[in-house]
Amino acid sequence: MRRLLLLAALAVAPAIPAHDMHGMSMGHEAAFGFDAAIDAKGRLWVVDTIGEHVRVRRSDDMGKDFTLTTIVNPTGEPIYAEGENRPKVALGPHGEIYVTWSQPRKAPWTGFVRFSRSLDDGAHFDLPATVHADRAEITHRFDALAVDGQGRVVVAWIDKRDLEAATQAGKPYLGAATYYSWSTDRGAHFAPERKIVDQSCECCRIALARAPDGSIDAFFRAIYGDNIRDHAVATLPVDGKAPQVARATFTQWHIEGCPHHGPSLAIDAAGVKHAVWFSAANDAPTITYGQLVPGQPPRHAATVATTGASHADLAVDGRRVWIVWNQMTAAGLDLMLRASTDGGAHFGEAKAIAHTDGASGWPKLVLANHQAFVAWNPGGSFRLVPADAAR
Amino acid sequence: MKCLVAIAALACACAAQAAPVTPLAKADVTALLLPPAKGAKVIAIWALDCAYCEENLSALLAWQRNHENVDLVFVATDAIGQAAALEARLKAAKLDGVPSRAYADPSPERLNFLIDPTWGGETPRTLVIRADGSKNALSGALTAERIARLMP
Repeated sequence: MRRLLLLAALAVAPAIPAHDMHGMSMGHEAAFGFDAAIDAKGRLWVVDTIGEHVRVRRSDDMGKDFTLTTIVNPTGEPIYAEGENRPKVALGPHGEIYVTWSQPRKAPWTGFVRFSRSLDDGAHFDLPATVHADRAEITHRFDALAVDGQGRVVVAWIDKRDLEAATQAGKPYLGAATYYSWSTDRGAHFAPERKIVDQSCECCRIALARAPDGSIDAFFRAIYGDNIRDHAVATLPVDGKAPQVARATFTQWHIEGCPHHGPSLAIDAAGVKHAVWFSAANDAPTITYGQLVPGQPPRHAATVATTGASHADLAVDGRRVWIVWNQMTAAGLDLMLRASTDGGAHFGEAKAIAHTDGASGWPKLVLANHQAFVAWNPGGSFRLVPADAAR
Repeated sequence: MKCLVAIAALACACAAQAAPVTPLAKADVTALLLPPAKGAKVIAIWALDCAYCEENLSALLAWQRNHENVDLVFVATDAIGQAAALEARLKAAKLDGVPSRAYADPSPERLNFLIDPTWGGETPRTLVIRADGSKNALSGALTAERIARLMP
């Protein structure tokens, strides 16, 4: 009888409140996704989320205190705020603060890329706008944001419109397409989106970086042949020309699945494309550094880290190159650094420069006065870790 | 009493059809990884955001139905707070009869590491643990042929 009662109680126990994907940020109890940038005055800008709100903060003392906090979207909306989807911030040449994020829609794997800007030093942000003209309830997610040398705003994202069209036509299609758009008027309007490439990976962040000529390059996981998930590089024209896309990594990682692991890119003053990327070819998870050459294997390719390492970022200044990543161990999470002083030909040993027993968002390298700092937020608490002190 | 029996019967019927998603915390990983008494334990790791995962879960469920001594458990790397969304997705795919867990740790990467330190977090991930304690793992959506290669 007691057992029956127990079963009965179980049967009528209320279900866990129906937080569907539409009503909340996507995942773990705390959303650790953030981005950071340092402006020409040496002020640090950090974007993250609180529930359904994107928050921009400014620190004038390198992250110790925040003197300004502004909610970008006073009217809340669902936000992808972790993993490969996290809010982004980029700074324009005349004090503009640009922010993008991906907004989950009701159906699985759907989203819209959202944009907002502040033209008054972060005091207010415009009403968020959807970047793409296409409004189908499909994937437009994994936004990436950059500002080119002319101050144009470039946004790239993963887009499933071509997958949908192929599926309806009964044609095979692997992954999703990668699209981009740009604004020549400080984000007031965006050009109709253009495709970068078909059949690229549908679940990895896109890296954008500015080249010495001011143009923006994209480095992203593409699909070659039968689900070989290597990376492609392309300059993103803002004059209507089609991007020239070339393969840039050759790990031959075959996976009919989601790596959840996008690359990073930084371009030096000589135009060398320094990059880090993840592969688990031959069941060996590996973060690799290399200098990209479109259509050819990378130069100076070197293993940065292996088991337990994830989500590397890198930065370059002159001959110095910094690589940081999250290193999971049985004892917790270490923020790791490797640095080069010879333009990436050689890297020093890996060093742990911070540790947390808990979780953190992914590290983001920022530069100020030729010094590198790592933005990290263990336990949701933002900090800026000096990279050079550890060398 | 009759009423109770009826409710209990309902409860049993529900239990047979739909396994609620239960939390997988750091302390639960050791038990999750214990070898089965015989045959193989298959831990099928998936995520809401993974478009390849449901087909992998379906393929593993089909395999289990056609083979003896295969313990199958689904583990979602999404947070247990997403239980309703996870259960809805599993139900829609007719996968809700399998014991199912979801991450209950602020750091999903830590659970990834504890479950399988050789895994980079890509999904789907299928981990097979045999009665003799040996393990094998593969990433990506598996065909019946690839599943066969993983099994004892």
